[in-house]
Amino acid sequence: MKELYRLSAAELSQLLRSKQVSAREIAQASLDRIAAVEPAVDALLDVTGEQALAAADQVDKALAAGEEVGALAGIPLIVKDNICTKHVKTTCASRMLENFVPPYNATVMEKLEKAGAVMVGKANMDEFAMGGSCENSYFKPTKNPWDTTRVPGGSSGGSAAAVAACEAPLALGSDTGGSVRCPASFCGIVGLKPTYGAVSRYGLVAFASSLDQIGPFGRTVEDVELLFSAICGQDMRDATSKPYAYQAKSASVKGLKIGLPKEYYGPGITAEVKEKVLAAVKTLQQQGAEVVEISLPSTDYALAAYYIISSAEASSNLARYDGVKYGYSGRRDGSLEDLYLSTRSEGFGDEVKRRIMLGTYVLSSGYYDAYYKRAKLLQKMIGQEFAKAFTQCDIIATPVNPTTAFRLGERCNDPLQMYASDVCTVTVNIAGLPGLSVPCGMDSAGLPVGLQLIGTKFSENTLLAAGKVYQTACGGFAVKEM
Amino acid sequence: MEIDVRHIAKLAKLQIPEDKMAQFERELSDIVGMVEKLPALTGDGALLDETNTMQLREDVVKPSFPREEMLKNAPQSAAGCFVVPKTVE
Repeated sequence: MKELYRLSAAELSQLLRSKQVSAREIAQASLDRIAAVEPAVDALLDVTGEQALAAADQVDKALAAGEEVGALAGIPLIVKDNICTKHVKTTCASRMLENFVPPYNATVMEKLEKAGAVMVGKANMDEFAMGGSCENSYFKPTKNPWDTTRVPGGSSGGSAAAVAACEAPLALGSDTGGSVRCPASFCGIVGLKPTYGAVSRYGLVAFASSLDQIGPFGRTVEDVELLFSAICGQDMRDATSKPYAYQAKSASVKGLKIGLPKEYYGPGITAEVKEKVLAAVKTLQQQGAEVVEISLPSTDYALAAYYIISSAEASSNLARYDGVKYGYSGRRDGSLEDLYLSTRSEGFGDEVKRRIMLGTYVLSSGYYDAYYKRAKLLQKMIGQEFAKAFTQCDIIATPVNPTTAFRLGERCNDPLQMYASDVCTVTVNIAGLPGLSVPCGMDSAGLPVGLQLIGTKFSENTLLAAGKVYQTACGGFAVKEM
Repeated sequence: MEIDVRHIAKLAKLQIPEDKMAQFERELSDIVGMVEKLPALTGDGALLDETNTMQLREDVVKPSFPREEMLKNAPQSAAGCFVVPKTVE
């Protein structure tokens, strides 16, 4: 039998229910694995070993008593550090929240606790989820398990690297412009950005509220589906969430029309990425899918619209960090203004400051119409173009990233180059659609490439069914030996 | 595109150290140069997503978090209140 840490959530669940292994053994295997690979990967900001073993014991007790347990009973889980975990530090990888201990659980954490999941740690990320490499963490950069001189992608880089390194089979991230799909792709695992409104964001530290979604990671499509079905659904504490009971579809792509938008295969995409993504589409074609060429003409403008909207919302959301109620607090011997200025200048990192200032600029007097309003109009247009495209096809296939994982430090001094890596993913958030990132082979340097499947709102089951077909057809996804 | 970083920073309640000013000016003008690449669109009523209306819950009176619990994260508190620098002379 494979080592416990190598098994999927579905396999672990089966072993647990047939009493071949205890929840404590599963949790301990995960903690041992974390101890073994963390020095190389640096995926976690906090390991919650004691709580994990206690939660696992609860599951074992319930099983021994013959009680019914939840769908994720005894399954180790890693949580991005911008999701509030009751009485467990939630830092957003920022000095601003270095010592913040939430007095409550995010809705997703309440649901996962009920489902019996066992949280083993909190994951590193780009500060306040702003970044595409996980290097904007105040604490440390996370490394890509496939090549530890490279970035894991971001902003949920810790969550993705932890799952790729088999620290846990499941993790939660958040995706505002690609922050689940990008690191899933760079780390060779599966990641889902759900439809806007599919998952409650109550307890997710806000970045750009009209774009943020919490999304699951796993090493198999089935595991991502398992975690997604446990967290989705309406929550009256997030007014944007919608009633949603996930129903899986049978794994078939017979007659499914896959759209290939030519704008996503242009000169900015490396030849190797293009080749692997198109080969994956071909595999789906061999399984019975049809391929049609489509066009999404406004794609070129999406990055601009994304950075305007997300930064505008961020500048407003992050106005709450004033050094008074919680978080880092600066100079207290001067005026209230001095307290605000020193708190924010010392508590935020440079990338967060850049985004706050960009947001402040585009919302400032005289510029609002030129930037924010135009970006919102473009958002509507992008949504309409997707709607039109979906009259010609059922799902859309694109690369997740224009390149594979780049080297640590390579793009740190060039924000624009860093932003450009979001070019294939931001449209999905702008249009509020679901997007699935599935590994589709390796480039010549042995680095994973990701295929992005985009669907209509609330069509996660179609995307996951197609993902399962591809996973089976390609013989499963490679796991990095460490 | 020239950006008045000092003015924007002031609006955002941020202080940019002098030795970083040039870097922020350069980066922000690059970023603004990128986001300016938007087509000239005109229209109204696009600021709300009419396909995604929010459902508001009824207001219900219920217990809130205990005061001590909420003050645990406060940088400074006294007599059950958040402490701020003196604002009125």
